[in-house]
Amino acid sequence: MDELIYTLKQQIIEALNLEDMKPEDIDENASLFGEGLGLDSIDALELIVLMEKNYGIKLKDPSQGKEIFKSVAVMADYIAKNRTK
Amino acid sequence: MLKVYINPEIVMLNDKPLAHNEKGAALLTELYRNYIGDYPKFFKMDTLSKLGFVASELLLQAEGGTRFEPREDRAIVFFNRSASLQADTAYQATIQDKENFFPSPAAFVYTLPNIVTGEIAIRNKYFGETSFIVFPEHDSQIMAQQLQLAFLDPMTTSILSGWLDCTDENHFEAELFIIYKSNL
Repeated sequence: MDELIYTLKQQIIEALNLEDMKPEDIDENASLFGEGLGLDSIDALELIVLMEKNYGIKLKDPSQGKEIFKSVAVMADYIAKNRTK
Repeated sequence: MLKVYINPEIVMLNDKPLAHNEKGAALLTELYRNYIGDYPKFFKMDTLSKLGFVASELLLQAEGGTRFEPREDRAIVFFNRSASLQADTAYQATIQDKENFFPSPAAFVYTLPNIVTGEIAIRNKYFGETSFIVFPEHDSQIMAQQLQLAFLDPMTTSILSGWLDCTDENHFEAELFIIYKSNL
């Protein structure tokens, strides 16, 4: 799981153009939206694309994103349980 | 008149060159880091928006005065011939391959040239008129006519305007200025 979390952080940094950030700078338990990384709605859509592209997970309902993208740790846990790639 | 000129190799502010080391898109990042900073949204922008953002920041810093206070009296009117070609191309790349078809929302949102006027308006809290006019060639007469029309709005007292064109990360040109109604 640690490896998945680290890889996921790298993928998030690249997909969302979080320049000057390294995986070590992201707290996997911090909120991705709002106070934490401060991501916005377009970033949320990019995370949905990231999940399908890298892990073969297609969200049937985009509103599921609210729960899945709570933090990197929550996202990694969901990916570990549902990935097809 | 306050003016700024940026192309992949040259940066001029009020006809004086600004020192830099980089070229192309890297030049825009260098200008951001050296003169602006603390606005991470910059790195999510397409090249046209980065160009407009950096050029407008240099111009507005030179203008001085109070910034980032809400105002409705400043319009933004830009012109080019390439519309949002670089962003369109970048988005096209994400849907070009049927076997690797992943449309990018972050790329898609920049596939209109007027998004850069929005980025500048958000940054500066401008709630006035904004336009982006596309026509085949740089034409000073058409631009002057459009600015005269923009000043017909009684609320508008100044316009951030100019030519803002980008075809790819190594081919772009910004020639921006601020024009004041009181100077007409």
